[in-house]
Amino acid sequence: MAVCTVHTTQSLNPTCSISKPSSFFGHSPRQLVVLASPGGNSSTIPKRKGGVLKVTCSSGDTIVIGLAADSGCGKSTFMRRLTSVFGGAAEPPKGGNPDSNTLISDTTTVICLDDYHSLDRTGRKEKGVTALDPRANDFDLMYEQVKAIKEGKAVDKPIYNHVTGLLDPPELIKPPKILVIEGLHPMFDPRVRELLDFSIYLDISNEVKFAWKIQRDMAERGHSLESIKASIEARKPDFDAYIDPQKQYADAVIEVLPTQLIPDDNEGKVLRVRLIMKEGVQYFKPVYLFDEGSTISWVPCGRKLTCSYPGIKFAYSPDSYFGHEVSVLEMDGQFDRLDELIYVESHLSNISTKFYGEITQQMLKHSDFPGSNNGTGLFQTIVGLKIRDLFEQITEAKAGASLQAAKA
Amino acid sequence: MASIITPITSSLEAPKAVPKANHREGISTTRKPSRLRVQAMSPAKYKGTRMKEKHLKEMIEKKVTEAKEVCIGDDLSDECRVAWDEVEEVSEARAHLREKLEKYRDPLEPFCNDNPETDECHVSEDDVTDS
Repeated sequence: MAVCTVHTTQSLNPTCSISKPSSFFGHSPRQLVVLASPGGNSSTIPKRKGGVLKVTCSSGDTIVIGLAADSGCGKSTFMRRLTSVFGGAAEPPKGGNPDSNTLISDTTTVICLDDYHSLDRTGRKEKGVTALDPRANDFDLMYEQVKAIKEGKAVDKPIYNHVTGLLDPPELIKPPKILVIEGLHPMFDPRVRELLDFSIYLDISNEVKFAWKIQRDMAERGHSLESIKASIEARKPDFDAYIDPQKQYADAVIEVLPTQLIPDDNEGKVLRVRLIMKEGVQYFKPVYLFDEGSTISWVPCGRKLTCSYPGIKFAYSPDSYFGHEVSVLEMDGQFDRLDELIYVESHLSNISTKFYGEITQQMLKHSDFPGSNNGTGLFQTIVGLKIRDLFEQITEAKAGASLQAAKA
Repeated sequence: MASIITPITSSLEAPKAVPKANHREGISTTRKPSRLRVQAMSPAKYKGTRMKEKHLKEMIEKKVTEAKEVCIGDDLSDECRVAWDEVEEVSEARAHLREKLEKYRDPLEPFCNDNPETDECHVSEDDVTDS
């Protein structure tokens, strides 16, 4: 009886060497038993009747990405870009609770960590805690469920309804290839932190936050400039105490600041965005400009490229962030035209694209998203490509490891 | 490999059904809609969306007034911070809902996304090959 283990290197669009494993005899995608002849060469699949050939078509374990961001889940733009890089559009689950915060695509599931609130709106009012406070969240359940999903088990995850402020009946989450946990506290609990294969912190400066919230809320009848300001101010103490410290644990921080190209700009339309990448993270090689580890300041606009006001300015340098070695890539300004984007892309290195112009293509695909003409869109797309690269490396490493184990 | 979520709620909508028509929308649940009335307002993709929108709008106003009252005395108190946090939560929900609704201006679009093979949505390609 010949027993073989055949592995395929898993890319994000997997093609198993044996087709349609998911529907084969009702077996789970992990194993296929194919009847074949004995005495065949152990490296090929024998064709005639007889013994049993065991082919393990492993779909790989789930990788978990943590994204810390203030206000709102389905932090639409970043999530949509991320899931688009992996392939497919992420939609809320069909036929379920219409107020579900979960997003699902072919490869990715995005879970909103607000679903792990232990106190609903009334409960928080009674206890006098904001949603930012760890006391309003059930970290034990969060850890348990993220761990289960990572191990390949489906879980019944509660739903926090942002409209009613209540905890709704749970929904079933099946383990995807990539699980993204998004919310205020992905890196707060050390056990959950251990489960993360990669973590990102979206750090919006106060001025930009204020400008964005004005854009978001001014049209609402109940709001005024004062109320928006008061809301931000009131949340600040809890934010600084519980949320902000998570940035030291992140593998990548996207910092959004007001531009330095326009003096006294307070509209928050032109942005300066910094991508702070931790050095020494397994499977993650930071993006760089021209020469890794050196300090570069680059204005692409000039003879080969004409830009309109206020132009574009890049900077790259090694730095230290909360005691860690980091590399910082910074973009200030806006893209106006396609060729500016492709020009910039052609000068960046370690961007993990699969073909020349992939970043530009991704940015164009979502040109209606906010941030598509500045560093936020660019760096979110780059982070998405880095995560894809990470996923493929991890899956390859796992396949290699089990192959070794099978041989031994 | 698409992940399918099976809801654990007591009311399950038939997978192929179009979101239940309320009296203002014209999409019926039969296979061929006999009438299609397109509303000038944002299309209601989910059940009770219109109600939700209204509810959230009113809630924002209410919560802002509440927060202002609570904070009059001491604006560093727990109650004050919780009140403004609620304002933020509701504003975010409202913005999110607005985004969701703006996504589909054509009421046929979500229906066709879910049911591409129906007569209304089927796209045929005219392959002209030289023989």
